[in-house]
Amino acid sequence: MITQQALRALVDEWIGAGTKVAGPSYVKKDFCQYVPLASSAELLLEGFIHPRNSIKEFFFPRHEKIYEYALKGHEVELADMSPASTPQVIIAARPCDTAAVAILDAVFNWGDKDEFYTRRRDAATIVALACVQHDSQCFCTSVGLGPDAEKGADAMLLPMDGGFEVRCITDKGRALFAGRTQSSDKTAVIPEGPKVKMSPEQVRKALEDYENPLWKTATLRCLSCGACSFTCPTCHCFDIVDEGNAHGGCRAKNWDSCQLCMFTKHASGHNPRNVQGQRQRQRTQHKFRIYPDKFGEVLCTGCGNCARNCPVSLGVLGTLIELCAEMPESVGESK
Amino acid sequence: MIEELRQTCRKLLEDGTVNVVIAYGQSDPEGPVYPIFVTKPDDAEKIVWNKQCFANLTTYLTRKEVKALGRIAVLVKGCDARSLVVLEQESQVDRAMVHVIGLACGGVGEPNPAGKCTVCEVHMPRGTDQIIGSVPETVSDSQDRYAAVEEFMKKSPEERLAFWKKEFERCVRCYACRGACPLCYCNQCIVDKNRPVAIDTSASLKGNFAWNITRAFHLAGRCVGCGECTRVCPAGIDLRLLNESLARSAERNFNYRAGMDPETPPVIGTYNAEDKENFIR
Amino acid sequence: MSNIYMPDLMEVVEVKQHTADVKSVKIRFKDAEKQKNFSFRVGQFGMYSLFGEGESTFNICSSSNWKDSIEFCFRKTGKVTDAFWRIDEGDTIGFRGPYGNSYPMEAWEGKNLIFIGGGIAMPPIRCAIWYALENRAKYGNITVVYGARTTRDLVFADELDQWAEYDRVRIIKCVDPGGDTPEWKGEVGLIPNVLAAANVAADNTAALVIGPPIMIKFTLPVLDKMGVSAPDIYTSLENRMKCGVGKCGRCNCGPVYVCKEGPIFTMEQLNALPADF
Repeated sequence: MITQQALRALVDEWIGAGTKVAGPSYVKKDFCQYVPLASSAELLLEGFIHPRNSIKEFFFPRHEKIYEYALKGHEVELADMSPASTPQVIIAARPCDTAAVAILDAVFNWGDKDEFYTRRRDAATIVALACVQHDSQCFCTSVGLGPDAEKGADAMLLPMDGGFEVRCITDKGRALFAGRTQSSDKTAVIPEGPKVKMSPEQVRKALEDYENPLWKTATLRCLSCGACSFTCPTCHCFDIVDEGNAHGGCRAKNWDSCQLCMFTKHASGHNPRNVQGQRQRQRTQHKFRIYPDKFGEVLCTGCGNCARNCPVSLGVLGTLIELCAEMPESVGESK
Repeated sequence: MIEELRQTCRKLLEDGTVNVVIAYGQSDPEGPVYPIFVTKPDDAEKIVWNKQCFANLTTYLTRKEVKALGRIAVLVKGCDARSLVVLEQESQVDRAMVHVIGLACGGVGEPNPAGKCTVCEVHMPRGTDQIIGSVPETVSDSQDRYAAVEEFMKKSPEERLAFWKKEFERCVRCYACRGACPLCYCNQCIVDKNRPVAIDTSASLKGNFAWNITRAFHLAGRCVGCGECTRVCPAGIDLRLLNESLARSAERNFNYRAGMDPETPPVIGTYNAEDKENFIR
Repeated sequence: MSNIYMPDLMEVVEVKQHTADVKSVKIRFKDAEKQKNFSFRVGQFGMYSLFGEGESTFNICSSSNWKDSIEFCFRKTGKVTDAFWRIDEGDTIGFRGPYGNSYPMEAWEGKNLIFIGGGIAMPPIRCAIWYALENRAKYGNITVVYGARTTRDLVFADELDQWAEYDRVRIIKCVDPGGDTPEWKGEVGLIPNVLAAANVAADNTAALVIGPPIMIKFTLPVLDKMGVSAPDIYTSLENRMKCGVGKCGRCNCGPVYVCKEGPIFTMEQLNALPADF
């Protein structure tokens, strides 16, 4: 185990050694986000359910240059980027966030490796913080995870009397805490997570009806913004843009969302997903059918950020429950 | 009050006055309140009214999927009713086609009322077809509407710039502010145009400054201070402060307040021979 | 670092204007070694960059047998193609590719081939036709049904005449009713009708149909009546793309990423996809 004091001292050591450390912190009064930390005093270790953002931005920044170009008459000079391989530690990430990174590994390594992502990933050690409370939007247990799920984490801190039980899961985790923990005969007791609210199998079955009229009605209140996608730990769609002037500039990868109306709009004006219901359908299908079919993982960790950040509280969970509610009882039971 | 509200909405649907009522629902009593679209009279039972009814439902009046539903009834608080006035003045809503149910409101937000509610003057909504409920005795209209901006403007320009840098650094360009705002209804938003690219789409400091300031400017003299943009921002940016400063400017320079009086012509888009021209040198 | 988003620099060798809004461009790797070693399969596409404007997705419309340059053809539609319209010989652009799957030229060997296209759909068909003609003995009869709205909208019109010179090749050109001129010697009518009237033998046939959705919709029943069934009808899908390498999620359509598992699909595969394109 490790006391809170010792943990904070360790964090300060990492920061002092030049490691980039990120963790939950109050950015404003009552407003918690995962942010880079300047000192351990900023680190929040209790009293919050889930930060408003996710840790994906430490592997997949919201705006990232992929190369620079200089325009010289007929000629062009390109300059490659060296993506960060500065060691980084993500401390006190919720298990739903750490699991998400493991799930994202699949797409960023599919066929061609996206080294902007993989380099940051390889240089990172992720320490999870197990959950001792949840709210009405959490549903990690419905997607095979839980308050102390180890997926994606190199080590885990489990709150207990006097500090945290330290569970080292990978070599990276062991290296990080080597010699810094003390033995203890106590172990943490983690309360049960949220009640299971739906099953991915049931959802998959419901999603097979592509033309389900529910898509038109259940998503009427959606405002076509990207709040769900950008705060979601597993959403990873991006845009590529050129930014510069007559002399040169850069090409960059930016977060994008299938919920925004421009996402599939062709130059000709044709937009295959012209109506919000179609866009919501795409997001749900992608998370619960397409990604699992391709990569064997559901693209959702039940963190609830989508619903919490959605201006109209339309999260993936609410939509799915409505979809499944339409199905006969037997379908749910057959699996 | 809730029974009267539900009955009113039920009746409007039953006798075919409207095809849909845009209201507040809350499927889980422990969960959040969100907009619902009630089309069946029996579903009027789903309508709720409590201190979590934050959403400005008038934002749906300009969305094509909602307009396609037919004749609409919409619930409005006092702040929401103001945005309806602006929408009508800008010819975005045919007021005759919308049945507006005003809700007397003592303020939303628990345990403390939202910032906007502490300076609210329209606890009884104006310009509605009917009002349901009455305002508790303890609530009175406030006059100190620009207190937050006044306080902020005491800082030096450097301090203020530093403040906004810190705020806009967190912006992820999700456009929740745009989506929630009833007055952001452009068919193609300036940030979605690419010939030319007026605002960088990247969530860089440059792009974020450009976006947020441009949006504030596009709302100058139009924003009614419903505060939805600030509530919905997933990055906690104090957008209302920005809009409030422009609203203060509109009142100071043109004696104009958006959405208070349908008869007063909007400040943007109205030419008055007595307008000061001292900014042209 | 291996940057999958980094393009190669290409020199613009030739720009040819086909219609009021269609141009084709021949480009060559600035690095001669890269040009020598570059290969692709017909049907694949590339991402072409105009630095400062953006990237566009176009099929590589030259034959894979041509080794000293590659070609793409585009219609001036939006921001990036507007900028492509202004390029000149000697300019530098970027290229990433080849991406996507390709026409099954090996599986098509021994078959009769029918190529059907409308308007700007000619370039992705052109590469397959040249490839087949360059390996003439391997393929059966070749029929091309190509049309455009008017005689001035035909793309690669001169090559249509060249192809007619080849053995066992039948070229059927058409324009929409009202799109003909007094000199026009081809057919007049909509492509599905022209195809039906052409009485093309369709035994042991593979068909490649590319064009606007409405043209495809009405051509399919004609092919069906001729005896060409869904698994033997191919098309090339057009989706909004950005990364081209299966990461950004934009071209995702049902279970497929068009940039990785497409853009070439059989009708049988397409029918299994949701109408999301």
